[in-house]
Amino acid sequence: MRGKAWLGTLLSYFYLAACYVFILLPVAMLILFSFQDGRLPVPPFNGPTLRWYETAMANDRMMAALGHSLMVGVVSSALSVVIGFLAAYGISRYEFRGRRAIQGLIILPLAVCYLLVGMGLLVALSAVGLGPSLGIVIVGHVVINMPLAFAICLAQLGEHQRKIEWAARDLGASTWHVLTAVTMPMIAPALIAAFCLCFTLSWDEFIIAFLTTRFDVTLPVVIWSLLRGGLNPQTNAVGSFIFICSILLFVTVEVLLFRKRRP
Amino acid sequence: MTMTSRKTYKLNARLTLALLASGISFWSLTTTAVAADNLNVLTWCDHEDPALLEPFEKANNVKINFKDIDSTAAALAVLGQSKPGDWDVLVVDQTDTGRLVQMKILAPLNAKDFPFADIPAEIADAKLSSVDGTLYTVPEKFGYNTVAFNKAAVDPKAMEDINAIWDPKYKGRIAIYDYYVPVIEYVAIALGKKPADLNSADLPAIKEKLIALKANAAMVGDVTTVQQALATGAVDILVGGGEWVTAGMAKDNPDLDYVIPTQGGVRWQQGLGVFAASNNKDLATKFVQYIVSPEAQGKLATSSCYWGMPANSKAVLNDEQKKILRWADQPGYIKVSHPYLQMTSDFDKELQALWAQVLQSN
Amino acid sequence: MAQSVDVQSTEARAARRGRLAGFAFTLPAVAWILLFFAAPIVIMAVYSLMPLAPDGSLSSFSLQNYQRFFGEAAYVQAIWNSVVTTAVVVVISLILAYPFAYIIAYKIPKRWQRLALAFAILPFWTSYVVRSYAWLLVLAPTGVINWALRALHLSDKPIILAYNAGATTLGFVHFFIMLNALTIYANLVQINPRYVLAAQDLGASAFRSFLAVTLPLSVPGMAVGAFLTVVLCIGDFITPQILGGMKELLLPQVIMMQLQRQLDLPMASAMSLVLTLIVAIVYLALQRQLRMSRL
Repeated sequence: MRGKAWLGTLLSYFYLAACYVFILLPVAMLILFSFQDGRLPVPPFNGPTLRWYETAMANDRMMAALGHSLMVGVVSSALSVVIGFLAAYGISRYEFRGRRAIQGLIILPLAVCYLLVGMGLLVALSAVGLGPSLGIVIVGHVVINMPLAFAICLAQLGEHQRKIEWAARDLGASTWHVLTAVTMPMIAPALIAAFCLCFTLSWDEFIIAFLTTRFDVTLPVVIWSLLRGGLNPQTNAVGSFIFICSILLFVTVEVLLFRKRRP
Repeated sequence: MTMTSRKTYKLNARLTLALLASGISFWSLTTTAVAADNLNVLTWCDHEDPALLEPFEKANNVKINFKDIDSTAAALAVLGQSKPGDWDVLVVDQTDTGRLVQMKILAPLNAKDFPFADIPAEIADAKLSSVDGTLYTVPEKFGYNTVAFNKAAVDPKAMEDINAIWDPKYKGRIAIYDYYVPVIEYVAIALGKKPADLNSADLPAIKEKLIALKANAAMVGDVTTVQQALATGAVDILVGGGEWVTAGMAKDNPDLDYVIPTQGGVRWQQGLGVFAASNNKDLATKFVQYIVSPEAQGKLATSSCYWGMPANSKAVLNDEQKKILRWADQPGYIKVSHPYLQMTSDFDKELQALWAQVLQSN
Repeated sequence: MAQSVDVQSTEARAARRGRLAGFAFTLPAVAWILLFFAAPIVIMAVYSLMPLAPDGSLSSFSLQNYQRFFGEAAYVQAIWNSVVTTAVVVVISLILAYPFAYIIAYKIPKRWQRLALAFAILPFWTSYVVRSYAWLLVLAPTGVINWALRALHLSDKPIILAYNAGATTLGFVHFFIMLNALTIYANLVQINPRYVLAAQDLGASAFRSFLAVTLPLSVPGMAVGAFLTVVLCIGDFITPQILGGMKELLLPQVIMMQLQRQLDLPMASAMSLVLTLIVAIVYLALQRQLRMSRL
């Protein structure tokens, strides 16, 4: 019996290791061949060289896209969290007719493909005669991320917080006062988590950005055109660079914001 | 209480600020005006290298914006989503000049502004660049859509027969370039048809032949995908390939080669045009002049997306680059190759539908 | 008497104020969704009923686009390809992700679990476009897999692994294993371990208690993972475009062809709506499980 348990554990660890190899293999290759000296990012490995990182950094279009992606991510996530939080507060704190229907409407975009959101905006733009722009990308990203922020906030606005809000209200605080001085600080971790999640999804979103931009594009769109515009390890360098930045961001958020709150 | 209210005030202020900031940046984004010092270019991927664009941008204090197209149809699709005046310069298959002029998209140009004396006669052919004696597009770069291959794996002699690609011997070792115009034309040549006379009645036979070709192939892909597949050895033969796939890779994989089959091949030729609705025609014309100047022609011929022969024979290229481009063989190559099909929009749609059916065939 | 009337009216006023306030708080969200999500879809639906005439104008209302769509074998094949690919991806991802999540939830010490999960989602942090491209490098004839096959003498010449439907599926499965592992893990750690102990006290073997207790209780997590997989997979254009080698087209590729080469917005709208309809059918089928998961 003990022998069997031992075998089971071994098999589990073996399976786990196999999964990790599968999951991490492409990333490992990507990073390794970002240092490739030559135009073909496949074995045999020649190098290392930082040449492709230099090429990428010197690429104005790439750097501009990096800025656009950051801006679209921050603005759309901030809007998503604020609007989503307000809606979650309204749904969880007030009884009113049509509450369920409104809740259903708000989370509806979670159940459709991004392609539909992008196509919808594209068709609507053409119907009203507007040109594509980064502003439209922000609009689209709020459509896909705000429901998520809403759901996260809603899950956090429980009975416990409601009681504290009542106490504040008994002390004469106004609704706005309660909201900003009591409720928001109480669920701040959830708000930050929602912001980070929205940012990540916006940062990585391709199809909406692709369909609704023209010259000022976001990073995924530039990478896509880079992929179509000639074969070289610059793509690897950009991918690895984003990877490292994302991990640094993730670790920073984790350490600064979440570790502190834990006893 | 005072503590709370001060804190609240702070939070309120910060929140208001954040909202304001996002509002402002949002507003400024949606109302980006098109400045006079912008030149908007609709182009294939070979006009995007900073080395090519920067000298012009610096000299004229202008920012060049570009958007990728991979066919005339794609260019028309982008135009359909744009307002008149959004675009200034177009890079296009020159055989589509007539069609675009008919749609009143292009502005007339003055032949004296461009170095036609340095462009080979066949390339400067007025049939491709002009309508009723008026110049509309200026030739800038050309090359071949025939068959590229890895000579370490395939006998170059065998490739001289256009029908070799249907040989079961090569099954699963062929890639097809995903551009319906040259590939359909190439198949028509293989069927013994004259490209210039191609019409709807020829399509069923072409479709059948293409489906057979696809069954023999491993993949279909865009410029970079097929380059990568051929360069890494995923396939040994590329239908629709030419110097545009082999030349740029010459250093990394010297075994890549191409031929023009004895039955003939297809010649691609890009031209530059200025949009009739452009608000910046002078600068646009200046850009066209710059691109056909010897300096820029050398950079365009060796662009990072794909290489190709420069239209201007004075292009600044070193001997090695000229050798890779097979500079000396060009007169012979031009003779045995046919330019792209000149089609109406309806025939274009028919070809696209045919292409979708071929891609979906098993 | 007078007092009770007063109380009632105060309550009524409070209730009315509550209604108004609740509505006001949700107003920005509702307006945003209606304006930028619902309205565009309505416009799309209207467009899809107005086929593009040869001269580029819109014709009067008809079902012609849908007739053309379902009448063209290549398009119907695209729907079928998309549905089959998505179904295969969902099944494989679930089968591979479940043991993975299970082992992390039950065999790895609690304090290491977060780290184990973080490692599993590492590739998520590279750009989405780059992920598919990275698979091309792995699958290339000179890539690691071919190298390993030759080192193990399983093949003597490079095998073409990329540019086919299998490569597309692989690219999808890679991403959705991570996603499904997360949703299943989140579900597994919520299951009260006492249920399993109770089943074993009653004499069930470890395997039987898993089948009778753990598996059924983790269905909601699988349903959420499966649904997200369907939504994200069936609408994806990048993965098949990079890895599929256009051997067979999926619906998003056909939609993009309509957009990029023909500017046939009405036809593309019709196709997108059909795509959404498929997702809606899946949603209805999984509705019960999805609700249980409190998503």
